[in-house]
This record gives sequence, structure tokens and C-alpha cells, in this order.
Amino acid sequence: MMLMMNKNMVKLMLWLAAVYLLVPWMLSGNHYVMSTVVAALVIGGVALSWALLGNLGGMVSFGHAAFFGVGAYVSALASIKLNLPVLLAIPLGGLGAVLASVAMLPALRLRGPYFALAILAYAHIFRIIATEWRQVTGGSGGVAQIPGLPTIMGFDFSSKLGAYLVVLTLVLLFALLYRHIRSSHYGIALRAMHASEDATRVVGVNSTLLKGMMLLVSAFMAGVFGAFNAHTINFLEPDYAFSSLWVTLPIVAAIFGGYRTIAGPILGALVVYLADQLLFKSLMPIGHQLVLGVLLVAMIALSPTGLLPLARKIMPRKKNA
Amino acid sequence: MTQLVLQALYSGLLQGGSYALIALGLALVFGTMKVINLAHGELVLLAAYIAYAIESGLDLGPMFAIPVALVIVSLASMSVCFIVSRVRQDREINSLILTYGIGVILTNLILLIWKADVHSSGSSWLQEAFVLGPFYSMRSEVLFFMVSLVLMGALWWWLSRSWYGRALRAVAANRDAATLMGVDPGRTELVSFLVAGLLAAFAGVALFSYGVIQPAYGGALTVKAFIITVLAGIGSIPGVLVGAILLGVAEALTVTLASSALQELAGMTLFLLVLLLMPNGLFGAQRRRG
Amino acid sequence: MLELNNVSVRFGGLNALTDVTLKVGSHDVLGLVGPNGAGKTTLFNAISGLLRPGSGRIRFDGRDVLGTPIYRRARLGIGRTFQIPQPMHELTVRENLIVAQRFGTGRVDADKIDQILEFTSLHDKAGRDAASELALTELKALEVAKALATAPKLLLLDEVLAGLETCAKRRFMQMLKDLHTRFSVGIIMIEHDIDTISSLCSRVAVLNFGQMIADGTPQAVFSDPAVIQSYTGSKHA
Repeated sequence: MMLMMNKNMVKLMLWLAAVYLLVPWMLSGNHYVMSTVVAALVIGGVALSWALLGNLGGMVSFGHAAFFGVGAYVSALASIKLNLPVLLAIPLGGLGAVLASVAMLPALRLRGPYFALAILAYAHIFRIIATEWRQVTGGSGGVAQIPGLPTIMGFDFSSKLGAYLVVLTLVLLFALLYRHIRSSHYGIALRAMHASEDATRVVGVNSTLLKGMMLLVSAFMAGVFGAFNAHTINFLEPDYAFSSLWVTLPIVAAIFGGYRTIAGPILGALVVYLADQLLFKSLMPIGHQLVLGVLLVAMIALSPTGLLPLARKIMPRKKNA
Repeated sequence: MTQLVLQALYSGLLQGGSYALIALGLALVFGTMKVINLAHGELVLLAAYIAYAIESGLDLGPMFAIPVALVIVSLASMSVCFIVSRVRQDREINSLILTYGIGVILTNLILLIWKADVHSSGSSWLQEAFVLGPFYSMRSEVLFFMVSLVLMGALWWWLSRSWYGRALRAVAANRDAATLMGVDPGRTELVSFLVAGLLAAFAGVALFSYGVIQPAYGGALTVKAFIITVLAGIGSIPGVLVGAILLGVAEALTVTLASSALQELAGMTLFLLVLLLMPNGLFGAQRRRG
Repeated sequence: MLELNNVSVRFGGLNALTDVTLKVGSHDVLGLVGPNGAGKTTLFNAISGLLRPGSGRIRFDGRDVLGTPIYRRARLGIGRTFQIPQPMHELTVRENLIVAQRFGTGRVDADKIDQILEFTSLHDKAGRDAASELALTELKALEVAKALATAPKLLLLDEVLAGLETCAKRRFMQMLKDLHTRFSVGIIMIEHDIDTISSLCSRVAVLNFGQMIADGTPQAVFSDPAVIQSYTGSKHA
């Protein structure tokens, strides 16, 4: 029976081997591309968390930079001021983002556009707190010399390769979590809640609680990636940590790759960010984000569910959930 | 101390007038199309930069920039309308993301054309101090406060008396019913964006003459405009003025009593408080809760 | 099982319900009738938790449920259908029942779900998308099925028969007759047709302009002059 491995299992193993072994081997010489890939995966992670909140929670957010920034700051400060090991500080950063999202729970009652902008307001508030609370956060000067990822069993995870492996694992773990939630009973109930919330309530679904949990999960994800990023860049300042780039890029990535799927936001991030950094930036050093804006506008105007799914329609494959 | 507070109130009032001008266009489009134009702030900024370009290129004061700004910004605004009307499904959310993208485009265009430097009007006449009793302000602040009141009055008159104005209000109240009455909603929406563009043009030129401009400001302007729109509630022009003054005063008081760095915080907090506690804004008539 | 005491609901200046007092036992099949706008659906909304009365008390199984949120009342055993069917979107018929059962009772019992599907004649449509692939009759059946899946003790049926043509209506009436016995559930049903009510219900309550004007057997209630006047405007039928 061991010989009759499932076709899907084989595909999965090949695929894992490719991303864990092949990609590093191909890029081992080129540090610049490797760190760009790492950054792309960070954005992919945030894009995933954004898509999760949108698909499962039914809420579009313009403020994920808040979770990203809070996660980054909490983790960085925990590792510096409390001497916490980096691998503990990162999940703590995630929890910090969760606390930030608890403050946002009242906003869940608001209708779509109002929620999106309320979250944006929260993001601004957190940025101002980070800038003004000088004793703790170092103010606008920021936090420097943030410890990097540790060396475990002789392997230096603070290297470009190490960072790649860690972020890749984080992305895959969260993708699995997303899938697990989505296929659970909670996921089914959440799907129904978007268009028919009262119908779910009268059969016993605590819709407010479920939506709230999705906000917390989404915040945790984004916070962890923010924390991870802080420990790879080793420097943090408010305008960077809470930059609108952490809003724009994930949204473009998620929509480009297809925000209704799980792989979509991740693949979208890889394509969009790599194109932005390696292509557009060299063509238009200032204002290269113009292309992002154009891309976003074009995508929504032409195909709101994303371009990659559109491409799949032209080349039919097995249906995505 | 009281003198400081009173001065803050006065400055806040004047600032509120200009804020109202910025917010009016957004509120108008939101009221008619139920679309939040996240690129509105960028349209205002565009007008401001046009004023800068005219001043630095032709050495003419910002007032001369108004006609040019009116044309360019209303064209830009109508283009936004055109793109937004392409959205068929989930209009509320999709138009939000769409206009966000347009905002990104405009910000980066401004960045490309005029670079990242900070600018403000060099016109000395406008910057000169204007004293009213014990209160100080810049001439430009008072001037544009007046302009703002005049434009608001004109808008109010237009909405209640003219054909297009009434069509706008009809579409805002009930789009389908308006269509059945012979109102072309598409054209009405175009008109609302056009008027919003005109207002944005004035707001932008005003901004350039009393304040400082920078490419990154577009987003902040949109957020301010939205805060005021939320404060005002849907469908109320006087509400926009009151909301704007409230914001201006809140900011001025924060700067005077706390610190200038917390200025933005005042607006954000006010915004959240109103959103969460007063579902209809101060004057509005529409439900905001899901 | 269900006790309403002096329940009043106001919408602005309109008195939707005034001082409504009603008791329903776990074996009752109560018909709720009254002219349009009398407040019947409002009463259902108050019982199921979609709105909160301005005054009065509501007790279910001995406990005060006035402050209890909608989803909790469903789990306590109050099930309801909507007059205009509200299926759960983006879900199949079966998934609708799974969600209802999972969140209404805490567990999923596939056999019970099949039973309910059979009972409501939805077995063939179990895999169809609930919001887009069902006819009106099936949507109404789904309303009942969803409510049943939560294992309710009290079932609020809001005009389940409205809009159905004769064949379907007959089938539904039979289903409603069996509901009470097969699922041992108390029922309050809102219907307009007097004959339907008389044949299905052992007790009838009449609402008019938000006030309870009669409560008794169908014969007694439908010959009550006050009731007749509320429907026809004159004291004689």
C-alpha cells in the first residue's frame, strides 16, 4: 500500500521539494533576488490575511498596516527591552496585533465602506501612538539594531536563505490554517453570513462572534509577518511600519492573484512585487507605484475576482473551492 | 489661557470653512451615488499643484489658477465617474478599492511631475496677517472661509432650485424611482462628479494659498473629507459645514492644549466616536449599521 | 413553555404591539390571525429576538429571555421561519441544514438531516444551491426544514402557506399536521385562511392593531363579534 501513493500526495511532495530545495538552490547566488522574494512572501502573507478577513469575515479592510506595524513594534521591543528570544517575540507580536484588533471589534457593526475606513482611522491612530510614545517606541527615530533570527543547530537563520525558509514556512502554515477554517462548519456558516446574516442567526449562529474571530485571526497573521519583517530588516520606524504600502501591495496582490482562493494572494504577491521591484522600479524610479494603481483600477474595472482566475478560465483546470 | 483657547476656536472656525470646501465634493458624490471617492483628496491636491505650477511658472497669484484648476480637475473628476460606472457588481466595495487605486495613480503622477518637495504659496498678500479684534489669522484663511460660505450657499441654492440639482437629490433618495420619473441617473452622476470637481478645484487652490502641499497629502485630505462627511451624516450641506468646523476646532484645540503632533489624532478619534456612537452622524438620515 | 406578559413594541409613533399577553404550552398548536399590519410578524420578531420590546416580559421554559440574543434563543429551542424565505446563501440545501443543526443543537446528526429532508420533500434537492436553484415551494419547505434542524421546542411559522398553489398547499398542510406529532414541537402559525387555521389549530389568538382581542378555540374565536368586526368592519360575518 505504501507504493500506491495518492497522486495528490506526490504532487504535494514535488511541489514542497521545489519551493524548499529547488528555489533556494536556483537563487543561492543572487542575494538581491532572494531578499526580494522574501519581501514578496511577507506581502503574500499580509495579502493572505487580508483575503481571509474579506472572504471569511466578509469585511474589506484598508488598515492592515495597523496589524503589521503593531506586530512589528511589539516583537522588536519585546526582543530588545525584555530580551525575549526572537522566536518567541514574533508570535508575541502577533498577539499584540490581536490586542489591537480587539480595539477594533466595535467597528464590525458598521457596513462595508464604513468599516474599511474605520480600520484606516485605527491604523493612523496606531501610527501616531508609535511616533509620539517616545519612551517606549523610540518615536519617529525608530528602533534600531533589532535582533535577527537565531542560529539553530548550526544553521544561521538570519541569512537570506534562512529568512526565506522561515517566511515560506509561515506562509504555508497560515495557508493551512485558512484552509482548515474555511472547510470547517464555521467556514460554511461564515460563507452564509455575508448575504444572509439574520438567516444564520435564527438557527443559532453567533455571527458577531464568528466575524470577530476572523478579525482576530487576520490580525494575528498580519502581525506575525510584521514581526518577522522587523527581525529581518533589523530596523523600524513608524512611517515604514505603518506605511500605506502594506495596505496597497497586499490588496493589489490579493486581487491580482484572485482573492477568493488561498494560493491566489500568495502567487499574486510574488508576481506583483517581483514585477514592481525588478521591472517597474528600474523603468520609473520615482512613482513606479503608479503601475500598481493602474493595475488595481484595471483589475476592478475589468475583472473583480482577479486576473489569475481569469487566466485559469482560458486554460481550464480543476475547480478551486 | 482663555485668549489662547479663543484664538484656537477662531482659527479652528476658519480652518473649518476650508475643510468644508474640501469635504463638500466628497459628500455630494457620496450622497448621490453612494460611492466614496477615495481619490477626492488627490483631486484637491491636483488643483493645489496646478496653482503652484501657475505661480512658479507664470508668477501669477493662486487666484489666477482657479480657471485652469476648474477645467483640469473637473475633467479628472468626470473621468473617475466614468471608470466607476464600469463597476457592475458589489458597487459599494468595488468602487472603494477602485477609487483607492485611482488615488494611488494620482499621487504618483503628482510625484512624477512635481517631485516630493514641499511647497506653499509665495504670495505675500495672501500670507499677510489679518487682524479681527484680538484674533489673528492669515488673509488667505479669511478669504477662503468667505469663498467657502459663498460656494456652499450657491450649492445649496443649486440643489434646491435647479433642474439638475433636484435630479441629483432625487437620485440620492431613490435611484430607481428617479429613473422612472425620467431622470437619467448616469448623467446625473456625471453632473455630481463634475460639481465635486469644481468644488475640489476651489479647495485645492485655497489649500495652496494658506497651507503647505506635498504629494503624500492626498490620502490625508481624503480621510479628513470622509471624517467630515461622516460627522455630517448623509444628505446635509449645513451638516458638512458644522462637521468641518467641529473638526477644525477640535484640531486647533488639540494643538493649543496638547501638542501639534496629536493634531491628526483629534480627527481620528472624533471620527471613530461618531461612527460608533452616532449612527446617523449629526444631521444625517441614513443607517450606517449593517 | 412560552409566556408573554404585557409586551409592547413601538416604532417611533406607531404602537406595533400593545400589552400583549399570551401563553403557549409545549403541546399547543396555536393559530395567530389578524388583519394585515396587526402586528403578527412583529410578535414573532419579539419572540425570536429580532427586536426588543419596549416593555413587558417574555419567558421561555421558565427563564427570562428579554435580553437574550437571537442565536441564543435559537439554541434554547425557539425556531422560526420567515414570511419571505431567507435561505442561507452560497450554501446547498443540505449545508443549510448542517449549519442549522450544528449551531442550533451543537452536533451534526446526518440521519436526522436525512429525515428532515424526507419530511419536507427536499431530499432530491439536497445538493442544489439554496439561494438560486429552488422554486418557491421548495424555498418555503427549506424554511421549515432549517428550523426543524435546530431541534426546536417551539416553532414559529410565518405564513408558510402564502403564495402556494393548491397542490403544494395540500401537501404542506399535511406536513404541518404531522409536524406537531412527529417532532413533538409546539407551534404558533400565522395564516390568513380561516379554514386552514380551523383544521390545523386547536387554539386561535387574534391580533388587531397590536392588541390581542381574542384567544380560544377556533369556533369560539371566529364567531366572536369583535373578531368579525376587525376583519369586515361590521359585527356580522
